Amino acid sequence: MLNDLDAWFVREILVHERALAGYLQRCWPHRDELHDLRQEVYARVYEAARRERPASPRAFLFATARHLMTDRVRRSRVVSIEPMGDFESSNVYPIDELCPERWTGGRQALRRLVEALDALPDRCREVVWLRRVEELPQQEVARRLGISGRTVEKHLAKGMRLIADHLFGGDPARGRGAPAAAAPLEEGHGRQQDD
Amino acid sequence: MDDSRTIERTAAQWLARRESGAWSARDQQALEAWLEQRTEHRVAWLRLHAAWEQAGRLRALAAGLPPGQVPERGRWAAWAAGDGAPAASPVPDLRALRFAPRPPSRPARWPRRLAACLALAVAAGAGWGAWQLSGRQQAHYASAVGQVREVALADGSRATLSSGTRLAVYLDRGQRRVVLEQGEALFEVARDPARPFAVEAGGYRAVAVGTRYAVRREAGALRVVVTEGRVRLEDLPGAGTPRPVSLLPAGSVATAGGDGVLVRSLPVEEAQRYLEWRDGFLVFDDTPLEQAAAEFNRFNLRRLELADPAVAALRVGGHFRWSNLDAFVGLLEQGFPVRAERHPDRIVLYAR
Repeated sequence: MLNDLDAWFVREILVHERALAGYLQRCWPHRDELHDLRQEVYARVYEAARRERPASPRAFLFATARHLMTDRVRRSRVVSIEPMGDFESSNVYPIDELCPERWTGGRQALRRLVEALDALPDRCREVVWLRRVEELPQQEVARRLGISGRTVEKHLAKGMRLIADHLFGGDPARGRGAPAAAAPLEEGHGRQQDD
Repeated sequence: MDDSRTIERTAAQWLARRESGAWSARDQQALEAWLEQRTEHRVAWLRLHAAWEQAGRLRALAAGLPPGQVPERGRWAAWAAGDGAPAASPVPDLRALRFAPRPPSRPARWPRRLAACLALAVAAGAGWGAWQLSGRQQAHYASAVGQVREVALADGSRATLSSGTRLAVYLDRGQRRVVLEQGEALFEVARDPARPFAVEAGGYRAVAVGTRYAVRREAGALRVVVTEGRVRLEDLPGAGTPRPVSLLPAGSVATAGGDGVLVRSLPVEEAQRYLEWRDGFLVFDDTPLEQAAAEFNRFNLRRLELADPAVAALRVGGHFRWSNLDAFVGLLEQGFPVRAERHPDRIVLYAR
């Protein structure tokens, strides 16, 4: 159900998430806002591309991030610790032009996936393995693990989020707290809020 | 309006439900309506969807494994860390071998002793391995140049990787071991008196029970900054002649090299300044420019080079964003007799 624009977005924009996250993190002092900032950058890029695809998606992504931060500073009238000049600095580019984040295809991608899988909390990891790798039906997974189908779904949803964070490697989501959180203690879904 | 995290959770719920097998045309309509509602919804969904599609590649791992059984963690760790094909079996626990006494080199009895030792090693390995099996975890983390990355370790500790850092974490029931292969990292150690937390680098190890400290590795030297609790700095076991053990209370900045350990005791706030890279800053206080340039170069691919000894000897102070090398150089040009030559990959400073 992906349309052309969706596919473009995944291929040309999401691949830069790690670089984008690094950039946002360096420029924006409020860590708890990084997740939201990232999402808004994506939404703006997507909307702009709906009208016209930018010729250089990567540069466009960073320019959008820069404008968004400028807008937010203006809107909130909060005096940033850093001079605005920081947003303008272009030294984000060299970082991963040298090591492009091409996570699709290849062994590198499989490696990252393996890391992502191993970093999942125990129960979540079991569910992801049985559902995504072995492709057992949800009810079968629920039966084997002795949990309800609804709980399987919850673990799956959580696994999807954690895997995306790890795979795209950006993870500004948690500011403190990384994609690679192998935290067996966290498996109870009572704590899903703070993974 | 929902915040970004709520949207992400909702997107994940949609995706998980769609995968659940019970998915009707009505559900599909509802999902499409949700996606149309806001672009934020769509991008969050696209992101998770793309990652989940990729995760299908994990199916390659199931080949040759008994179905229905979730393999233990770390099974592919050695392969994921770098080289070789996926291990057909879990990485053997070589540490078990130290339970066997080293066979003395007496040729005549060599074969029998060796056999005995091997048997002992195998037995010890099996027992030790079985005891540890469920408690063992291994992970590798790395950060790119210019990236500061926080990771949660499985024991509840946290590590913050500075720019260009690589480390490996080995956890089991008896110990927590981190090998700092490159760079610098700050550790906030979860308290667990039964399992000391040891960071190994450059022939030393820094051991803590529950504390906060940073270890940094450089050519031929190691730096440990303790901001909370207490750390024991000692030799790696089996690394030649033992050197004295240093106990480092909070506020210590220890530099360890081939010749021994130099410890400075500072007020904790001052020791903290060594860790400001975490928030994106480098702090200098009457620091030779040569050293300051080296700091910047840890964090940036675009290098700062000093062409003259006179420039290298200038002393600088202040609080600088490590991501903004240009601003730093601009300030130097204003305040010091230096001239900068800017190239795409480096900035060279000359005396003026």
